[in-house]
Amino acid sequence: MTKDNKGTKLVVFGATIQGFAQACINLNIVAGAKAENLIEDIEVAGWYPFEKLREIERVVVEAYENSGPILERVGMEMMLGWYKYGPGKEIVKNGVGFLHFQTGSQGYASVVKGPEDLVGSFNLEHLDEEGGKARIHSTTPFNKDMERGVIIGGMTAPGDLDYIDVKNEKNPQIFEIEFA
Amino acid sequence: MSLEELLESGTVPAKGDITEEELVKLFRKFRGLQKKQERDQAFWAATNENLKIAYEKLDEKERELARAYSIIQDDLSVANKIQRALLPEPSRKMVSELELAVYQKQLAEVGGDYYDFFNTCSDSYAIGVFDISGHGVSAALVMTYLKAQFMTILETLDSPKAIVEWVNNTSYDFLKTVKKYATVNFVVMNAVALRYVCGGGFGLLLSGKNRTVFEKRDAFLGLRRRSFHEYELPFKKGDLLAMYTDGMVEAQNDKGEDYSVQRLNELIVKNAKKPVQAILDHCMEDYTNFRSKDGDDITLLILRKKV
Repeated sequence: MTKDNKGTKLVVFGATIQGFAQACINLNIVAGAKAENLIEDIEVAGWYPFEKLREIERVVVEAYENSGPILERVGMEMMLGWYKYGPGKEIVKNGVGFLHFQTGSQGYASVVKGPEDLVGSFNLEHLDEEGGKARIHSTTPFNKDMERGVIIGGMTAPGDLDYIDVKNEKNPQIFEIEFA
Repeated sequence: MSLEELLESGTVPAKGDITEEELVKLFRKFRGLQKKQERDQAFWAATNENLKIAYEKLDEKERELARAYSIIQDDLSVANKIQRALLPEPSRKMVSELELAVYQKQLAEVGGDYYDFFNTCSDSYAIGVFDISGHGVSAALVMTYLKAQFMTILETLDSPKAIVEWVNNTSYDFLKTVKKYATVNFVVMNAVALRYVCGGGFGLLLSGKNRTVFEKRDAFLGLRRRSFHEYELPFKKGDLLAMYTDGMVEAQNDKGEDYSVQRLNELIVKNAKKPVQAILDHCMEDYTNFRSKDGDDITLLILRKKV
């Protein structure tokens, strides 16, 4: 896979692809040679065409009749890995901290680059810490079931929250979050 | 007692054991667990559904495989009958002059070992024993091709050398193309002598107290475009000829030892005075007791010139 660092194409950070693929492997969604192929030639610090991530996503979508709950779990698993083995612990100190990290799409911008109209955003639009409510607006090209899992996993990983619920049934791009 | 301590103890709290703040926390924890359970249920339901579909697909594939296997088995069964039918029956004249016994076993339904009886254009008998490389259908198809070649040329030629060279030259390109070759052990016999060509395979002639093992100086059919060597031996009444492929002699016992040419030849010599069918039966019994399993097609042909 050719690394692509230019701003003309949509590219995704190698660690994200690795994280996604590793989550699939951990959950036994893919196994054996197919799993090895998923992360072959992917360098953690490299940038790769977004299509590479799509390829892995397709493996899951094509394998499951109802892939929504699976992709949600992949997103959760991916963020648990990010927190446990990646930089997550340094960046996020508690569950709400994960939401703060999405302010101005800073979290998302660290893993996806490219033309603005293709990159989109993953932005914390509203946060009521006292009331335990938040809203994230996502216009990214990522699968929305997986993004729901990313939010749940990112907020769960620090271990301080007792309750987390994320809904986006009405509008897949709007994630209504409740937490306590 | 804190909420965590209460939960840890497993004791049902009495009124006043939990503060309002702890009750709220307990409520949140409970809701959190409910949500987690909902997500887990959705995940496992999707996984189970996927497994169910995978099993259904697997069942369908198994049924397809079973159907395909059945078709192949039927075809192989027919191929086996065809190959058996292609094996020769000795002519009346041959039976009147030669005492003959043959054992042949293919490793699969069809195989690459092949023997044949012919009459030459000068009314001599010709006997060929061949072992086509590989096993199964491809070897059997080559067998039918070679049979046709020999039947064609035996109408015009009489010398084993000329016959085998003609078949080799005619078949060379074909055998190269299909990546096959065949051992050839070919004998033409008349009233007083036999002439043979041996490119692979084994031959043993017992004439009185003389024992002659066939010279094997030639290449297999399809390996090289070269001339072959022809040898002539006296073949009198009462003489015994055995021809066989490598299937028996290269079979091994549990210790990894070969059955061996020496063992088979000794056994033939030891039983040489018996009827040829009895000699053959002794050989097969000894072989069966020796070998751990068959690893190749087997052909053993024994004949004696009647007195």
